[in-house]
Amino acid sequence: MKQFRRMTYPYIVWALILIVAPMLLIVLYAFTTKGNDVVTTRFTLHNFARFFSDSLFLKVLLRSLKVAAITTIACLLLGYYPAYYIAKCSETFKMRWVLIITFPTWINMLVRTYAWIGILQDDGIINTVLGWIGIGPIQMMYTEFAVIVGMVYNFIPFMILQIYTSLTKMDGSLLEAANDLGANKFQSFLRVTLPLSLPGIISGITLVFLPAVSSFCIPSMLGGGQYMLVGNVIENYFLHSGDWNFGSAISMIMAIIIIVSMYITKKVDVTEKKEA
Amino acid sequence: MKKAIVMVSLVVIAMLAMTGCGKKKEKLKLFLPGEYLGENVIADFEKEYNCQVIIENFDSNESMYTKLQAGDKYDVLIPSDYTIERLLKENYLQKLDKDAITNMGNLADQVKNLSFDPDNDYSIPYFWGTVGIIYNKKNVPLSDLEAEGFAIFKNPKYKDRVYMYDSARDGFMIALKTLGYSCNTEDDAEIEEAYNWLIEMNKTTKPVYVTDEVIDNMKAERMDLAIVYSGDAVDIISENPNMGYYTPACGTNVWYDSMVIPKNAENPELANKFINFMLNYDQCMDGTETVGYTSPNKDVLAKVTAADGEYADNEAYLPRTYEKDEIFHDNENLRKKLGELWIKVVATN
Repeated sequence: MKQFRRMTYPYIVWALILIVAPMLLIVLYAFTTKGNDVVTTRFTLHNFARFFSDSLFLKVLLRSLKVAAITTIACLLLGYYPAYYIAKCSETFKMRWVLIITFPTWINMLVRTYAWIGILQDDGIINTVLGWIGIGPIQMMYTEFAVIVGMVYNFIPFMILQIYTSLTKMDGSLLEAANDLGANKFQSFLRVTLPLSLPGIISGITLVFLPAVSSFCIPSMLGGGQYMLVGNVIENYFLHSGDWNFGSAISMIMAIIIIVSMYITKKVDVTEKKEA
Repeated sequence: MKKAIVMVSLVVIAMLAMTGCGKKKEKLKLFLPGEYLGENVIADFEKEYNCQVIIENFDSNESMYTKLQAGDKYDVLIPSDYTIERLLKENYLQKLDKDAITNMGNLADQVKNLSFDPDNDYSIPYFWGTVGIIYNKKNVPLSDLEAEGFAIFKNPKYKDRVYMYDSARDGFMIALKTLGYSCNTEDDAEIEEAYNWLIEMNKTTKPVYVTDEVIDNMKAERMDLAIVYSGDAVDIISENPNMGYYTPACGTNVWYDSMVIPKNAENPELANKFINFMLNYDQCMDGTETVGYTSPNKDVLAKVTAADGEYADNEAYLPRTYEKDEIFHDNENLRKKLGELWIKVVATN
């Protein structure tokens, strides 16, 4: 394999330019401030102090974490059974189900989220149906509910596919063994299937939580401009007020939170594996 | 968001068009807001000058400026007044070739010799209008609007029934004008007062902050009151006659989007021809009929607002001439300060 190692060089250069350089720029921006004409950048921690000294930003941060957590839990609860079901299907049906699950992701996310506006609107599909049985209209657009619905809808395929993959790797004879040893269906699920699907659950959680916590177009489309999450604040500082330094500082704070949470989930993963 | 979709599709179309042509034609790169062109103007221009137009859209003057600053080259831009002021200050624009622009005489008096470019040396108006209130005539009596002006957005009677436009500049303009100040003020006390006005508005009427969605939402009568640009109001009113447009007595912002040629344009000659072409009666008519924004062409204005014209009964079409209305001016400190405060206004709702 050694002779192939050289072939990775272009990739490494590519990754350095496209991934590492922008990150370094963000770090540079986050710790500096626009100076005078002689010294164009000056080192400062002011951007970070500003974030943590304003209750508004903390409020927005907590709100983002809350929404992302709810989305992740909802994806897990709603996604586990479909994943389980698909893993049990015959080979041909498996492929069909996977195709159906991934099908929506072929369409642009903006378009799909627009469809939800039509569904949740005051004169949308749900409220029209509710109207027929004499309920409503219930205000759903521009609420937290709408934002969470939009996020769960957009991110649930990641959860399903991850759990499905880890379930297909499971050895079926383990369940037979559990059955032989007198476990009922519920017990064998709880003590065999669930622990074995844990790696899938954990990577599913990471794949849903990360985009959910930094998402900015779903909240602004379904929640209205006033439903601000961290992603929207960052967008605002970059595009509207033009304060790239503070925007970068917020991005870095988010990145650190995400790295820490990934580290914790990895830890959980490892200890679970040891116990098993 | 809609504009983003339009932009992506236009870029793709432009790219397809590029691969399609074998012969080398002259190219014109156009950078303008989304949904801002008449149906046939580009095809007509390409035919007449045997060239190819590449269109790119931006969703705000600020993002346009960012691209320009990064060194992207365009032949014609259509930014707003205050951005033109900034581009001029920072030496981004080149003088127009007035010998090529023979249609200058077609401009209406209201759009000639504006303060940011007194002799039209650098810019030719493309669309213009005001910022105002679109309201549902069935639920909002005109007398309320006349009595309160923009302060109607703080009337508890309309709680949960209003949209605000999610823009720092326009949001603060409303508050400052209502309080009787200039929308270009630099006085911290006045800005503070406007900020408190907006926070109080959030508490009493709980507005939803939107941008372009406001057009479809008001057509569908989902709310009673909203802040819009007059051009969007024209569109809303022509589709839903229950809607009305009102510009308050305290004054408002009047704006001009104009065509300019950047210094680094690759084809300035064709750019001047394009600007001249866009002043033709037919092209102005096509533009204003398709988009709904107000034309700078005096004959087109006369035609569409005449008794049998398309916009004869549309109160949003012809901007008023009123001494208390103001143009925004470019001011970097103010832009930053308002941008900062606006995030707080929007997020505390």
